[in-house]
Amino acid sequence: MTEPRGTVFVVDDDASVREAIASLVRSVRLDVRTFESAHDFLASERPDVPACLVLDVRLPGSSGLELQRDLRGRGVTLPIIFLTGYGDVPMTVRAMRAGAIEFLIKPCRDQDLLDAIQDGLGRSRAERLERAELAELRERYESLTPRERQVMAEVVAGLPNKKIAAEFGTSEATIKLQRGQVMQKMRAGSVAELVRLAARLSAGHEPS
Amino acid sequence: MRYVRSALFVFGALALAQLLAPYLPYPFLFPFLASVVASAWFGGIGPGLFAVLLSGVVVDYHFIPPINHFTISLPEVPDLCSFVISAAMAAWLSTDRERLEHRVEERTAELQQTNEALRTTQTELAHAARVMTMGEIVVSIAHEFSQPLLGVLTNAGAGLRWLDAEPANVDEARSAMQRIVRDGNRARDVLAQVRTSMRKAEPKKVQLDVRAAIADVIMVVESEIRRHKVSLRFETARQLPSVLADRVQLQQVVLNLLLNAIDAVRSVEDRPRTLRIHTRHDGGGELVIAIEDSGAGIASHDRERIFDAFFTTKAEGLGMGLSISRSIVEAHGGRLWVTSKADGGSVFQFTLPVTNESLSP
Repeated sequence: MTEPRGTVFVVDDDASVREAIASLVRSVRLDVRTFESAHDFLASERPDVPACLVLDVRLPGSSGLELQRDLRGRGVTLPIIFLTGYGDVPMTVRAMRAGAIEFLIKPCRDQDLLDAIQDGLGRSRAERLERAELAELRERYESLTPRERQVMAEVVAGLPNKKIAAEFGTSEATIKLQRGQVMQKMRAGSVAELVRLAARLSAGHEPS
Repeated sequence: MRYVRSALFVFGALALAQLLAPYLPYPFLFPFLASVVASAWFGGIGPGLFAVLLSGVVVDYHFIPPINHFTISLPEVPDLCSFVISAAMAAWLSTDRERLEHRVEERTAELQQTNEALRTTQTELAHAARVMTMGEIVVSIAHEFSQPLLGVLTNAGAGLRWLDAEPANVDEARSAMQRIVRDGNRARDVLAQVRTSMRKAEPKKVQLDVRAAIADVIMVVESEIRRHKVSLRFETARQLPSVLADRVQLQQVVLNLLLNAIDAVRSVEDRPRTLRIHTRHDGGGELVIAIEDSGAGIASHDRERIFDAFFTTKAEGLGMGLSISRSIVEAHGGRLWVTSKADGGSVFQFTLPVTNESLSP
């Protein structure tokens, strides 16, 4: 897969901090886009690439924590690295509970910030991969005929061909053929793998 | 008891009146009025009125014709009435003193309560002000420095990475360096502002009565001392040599050391909680002020570190008190140090240079 390396969004009201972080991020060959406020960030068009957000907790207008909530409300799953002026414990706890991946106290080490960014991009990449795989898996499942889906359900439930044939009132040979189709279309090498794929499909239906 | 006394006054008056009877037209007037006044003065309004009544009866019997009879002839009624009225008024006026005294007592009690409350508040305020201002200053300075420092660190990291890249990107590295210079200057400006505001708080040294200054601080912590059942002794020569010092700052040092000492003895259960403030002047150029406590003492490995900024052994301490105290004392040309007592506890001592030798005892 030829995924782009990733984009880092930076939201901080201090221009010199924005410039510094932007330069640091570009120096490790990552793309960066900076914003002065939460509002500017929400109003922007974001490219569909692995990304993470470096966010100042204290922002004029709506705070970093509010932006975090807004993004969640919009279903945007973006790993967030918070920067804070001082170690505010309750704020940290709230942000971490709401899914922040890192909370760095200013002034932080450049390497710590880069590590957090790499971690964030890694998570974003993994999440995108997961989503892509799930989408492909769904596509495979969509390509099954209604009968094949029924057969797949019975196979996954652990029933032998003979029983399935009896249930559907057809011959064992027919079921064997349909079962072969299912395994091929779902690209499953074994029954065990088919079970795993089925589990992932059903897990993917539930909201995470 | 008070009624018996007023009866005695009245019979005394009767004796006096009979003695004077041959020489005065109204012999009863002054002795009986005096007995009523005395009864009311010492006994209050009840015995006063009792004396009025008793005097009325006695006067009627002995001095109002017909003599030695309780009956009154009509022409004598105004005489008796005017006597009774003036006696009652005298009784009433005499008890005023008592009422006044009572009110004074009430007011005094109220004042004492207010005073007590005031002192407690004062101690709390002094403590809170110490912690608050210190905390606020630290937080705001830290915040002012954190932005440019983040810029410096991040730009430096970026600059190094641009130079390490293959091929090195000198232009990017240069602009990172320029930003470092800019942020460094920003931090320098913050530092200059801090220095300026510190200079505003430079000590205003005056010829200071150390004894009175310390006594004021003791007053501030008095309720704190009582609350924790600590006994405090302040031993000093009546006449101390004069020193040149900033009153507020010197008091801050003493307050700080005293509050620390109270903290040190608070948890002591197995021996008396005692504090002792004493001064020493060996005739040299220094006045030594020492504050001793009977607390647990200070572990030897902490003894020098307790003067470092941000070092604290207390759960809620900021670790600034002793550090600031030491810099205040040193700004006055003195020294502040701590020693341990053989029987436990610590002695914090500081010196102040003496300016006027002639005042020394």
